Amino acid sequence: MLNYLIRRIVGIVPVILVIALFVFMFVHLLPGDPARLVAGPEATLADVENVRRSLGLDRPIYEQFGLFLWHALNWDFGNSLKTRIPVTEEINLRLMPTVLLTICAMAWATVFGLLIGVASAVNRGRWPDYVGMVIAVSGISFPAFWLGLLLIDVFSVRLGWLPTGGFESAKGLIMPSFTLGLGVAAVMARFTRSSFIEIFREDYIRTAHAKGVPERRVIWKHTLRNALIPVITMVGLQFGFLLGGSIVVETVFSWPGLGRLLVDSVAYRDYPVIQAEILLFSLEFILINLTVDVLYAIANPEIRFK
Amino acid sequence: MRHMSRVLATTALVAAVTLGGPFAEAKTLVVGVADNLTTLDPANANDTLSGGAARVVLQGLYGFDSNMQLEPLLATSYEANADATEFTFHLRKGVKFHDGTDFNAEAVKINIDRVRDPKVPTKRQSLVSMVDHVEVIDPLTVKVVLKEPFGAMVNNLAHAGLFMISPAAIAKYGKDIDRNPVGTGPFIFKKWSGDLFEAVKNPNYWREGYPKVDGVTFKSVPENGSRIAMLQAGEASFVYPLPSELAPVVTANKNLEVVKVPSIIIRYVAMNTMKKPFDDVRVREALNYAVDKNAFCKVVYGGYCKPAEGPVPDLLKYSTAVQKGGWPYDPKKAKALLAEAGYPNGFETEMFSKNNSTYIRAMQFLQQQFAQVGVKLTVTPLEAGVEAQRIWSVAEPKDATVQTQYGGWSASTGDIDWALRPLFYGKGFPPKLFNVAYYKSEKTDTGIEAGIATADDAKRTSEYAAVQKQIWSDAPWIFLTDDQILVGQAKGLSGAFAAPDGGLNFEKAAFK
Repeated sequence: MLNYLIRRIVGIVPVILVIALFVFMFVHLLPGDPARLVAGPEATLADVENVRRSLGLDRPIYEQFGLFLWHALNWDFGNSLKTRIPVTEEINLRLMPTVLLTICAMAWATVFGLLIGVASAVNRGRWPDYVGMVIAVSGISFPAFWLGLLLIDVFSVRLGWLPTGGFESAKGLIMPSFTLGLGVAAVMARFTRSSFIEIFREDYIRTAHAKGVPERRVIWKHTLRNALIPVITMVGLQFGFLLGGSIVVETVFSWPGLGRLLVDSVAYRDYPVIQAEILLFSLEFILINLTVDVLYAIANPEIRFK
Repeated sequence: MRHMSRVLATTALVAAVTLGGPFAEAKTLVVGVADNLTTLDPANANDTLSGGAARVVLQGLYGFDSNMQLEPLLATSYEANADATEFTFHLRKGVKFHDGTDFNAEAVKINIDRVRDPKVPTKRQSLVSMVDHVEVIDPLTVKVVLKEPFGAMVNNLAHAGLFMISPAAIAKYGKDIDRNPVGTGPFIFKKWSGDLFEAVKNPNYWREGYPKVDGVTFKSVPENGSRIAMLQAGEASFVYPLPSELAPVVTANKNLEVVKVPSIIIRYVAMNTMKKPFDDVRVREALNYAVDKNAFCKVVYGGYCKPAEGPVPDLLKYSTAVQKGGWPYDPKKAKALLAEAGYPNGFETEMFSKNNSTYIRAMQFLQQQFAQVGVKLTVTPLEAGVEAQRIWSVAEPKDATVQTQYGGWSASTGDIDWALRPLFYGKGFPPKLFNVAYYKSEKTDTGIEAGIATADDAKRTSEYAAVQKQIWSDAPWIFLTDDQILVGQAKGLSGAFAAPDGGLNFEKAAFK
């Protein structure tokens, strides 16, 4: 197991280097002059030159890249062009809200999605299956911005129970995590269902039934463990996506997370923030993939030795 | 929640009784805005919103009232010499910064010198780049001496970029002054992080009886629907901007109201007067006749605007209505003029603009109007970076690819000079300034120069009247509309306003 882990971790290093190169390059290959954007629409030519100088944008590009690598190693991305506070501080400020929202959304979505999926698979072709799948399809189909605004209209404007948004109270977490989790729950339900149905057809399940193992045990031990592999993959992927910050949900519920920071930064061409965020998202994905691999190995010992 | 407000009310009551103040329920004013603030150092801000947040805490020698007229704040009066090179300001007595230090002539000098310091460039340096030096005459009198005449100096000093910050705080915080503003304003800065900006009442504010609310909080809520929901749910009492399509939602609620503010934002299409076919004034006139400005207003801005009656918005001082009701809509005349200019079957052209839905809608409307007179328009929205490259950074006029450009302009100094010089001055082609029409007229140029060379009202009035007439007849633009700004607010709120430049002002905010 340890061996397996070390192999996986060593494999990550070149991936990170390539990502760093891409992250640096692509921002600088975009058209447009960041100095002019930072200086603003009313700035005169002299103002623009002042901005360029004060941000170091007048230096040659390879010098800028060398500095970027060195600083990235120290997790230092300079200051945001927009707010002029350190990028890492800017990200730290938004990381917690996004992580919190992701965990809440994932937690309820995984549990409910799994239960609905299992219930549908077990009762395949009967009404719990239909109900479960109607919920799942609706969950996938509801656009988050529409659902979010609808929830706000009902629970904030009409009933006055929940705040329209913001990160100030625990109550503020309810609507965004519901909206964010709904799609995930739906995907989870469908995945669990089909994975379950597939495993049900396996010989060893028939054997288990044949030797008189109780139904409950067949479902929760024999089937679930085997059906979990694709589901874990799915959870990992979704987790990664959500950690990138949901742009729509964060915008609708004015949630101060990473997704909104990214949109704001792109609109403003806040290079350092964009770079740091993309690097962070890549790292998150790499870590999640690693975790997923480890979980596979736990769920299915055969994988460790391949 | 009800319990909370009772506690608050009781606290306010106790406070009111002990302080012997007015017997009213004060509370914190929550303002919903669309964007995040970028900085609290207005000398380095280029967005009006950040200036608005700064205005909660800081203020300048002069400010603008709700009609964009100059209003004395930290200065009580000024005198200027005849050729507009020396401005003497008399300062308000007994004003203290939030850190307890005195506001005086020395502080004014330090602030102006800070903004114009060439070694530590600020984004708003150009507001005071014409200053030669600042003289402290006595603690309450300061003289600003210019290198060249500049008649709009008081307006420049009223701009958010020249808000007065405590010199002690500047020394203490250095560059971090942009997160720690210490001023003389009605509220004291408390906290700014992410989406929230908070300031609390300044108990020692110089204006008798103000502020009337306990504090001001800005919440940035980018989604329009969510922002309006905050207002409907009572979480915010003032939201800006209010998109015109959501105005009916606010109107329908009996506790809320929509406030229309005529703005100093003008909408126009600049035509590249150096390029065919726009080098012919008849073509430019034709396109002015081809567009129905009232319909433009309805389609693009939900009716919240009015046809432009001159090349600068109505509300700016020295603005004259060259043509009442705007340039008339007359497609027949447009066709005749095009035929006269040698384009009886029209021509093809392209229009640039920023890439957002309102701008695209505007261009599509124009496309349809142009088509009526045989002009085939290609609409090209440009992402900000590309726009900078294709329009603003082009070094030589002959290399400019822009044929026409749809845009808007807000003269943030509130003076006509900043509405004319950047856009119509023959020495202001990109990348220097913003004259995308590459318009150059001897008369206009001398008029613009003469107008700024004096602080004398009568002289400026006559110079600028001539300039506006000249521009109107040269028609380098399709003169479209003056915007109106919409604010959604609780009916119980008074004294809070968005000025015609979009600058927010909460000095006199009060709840009924």
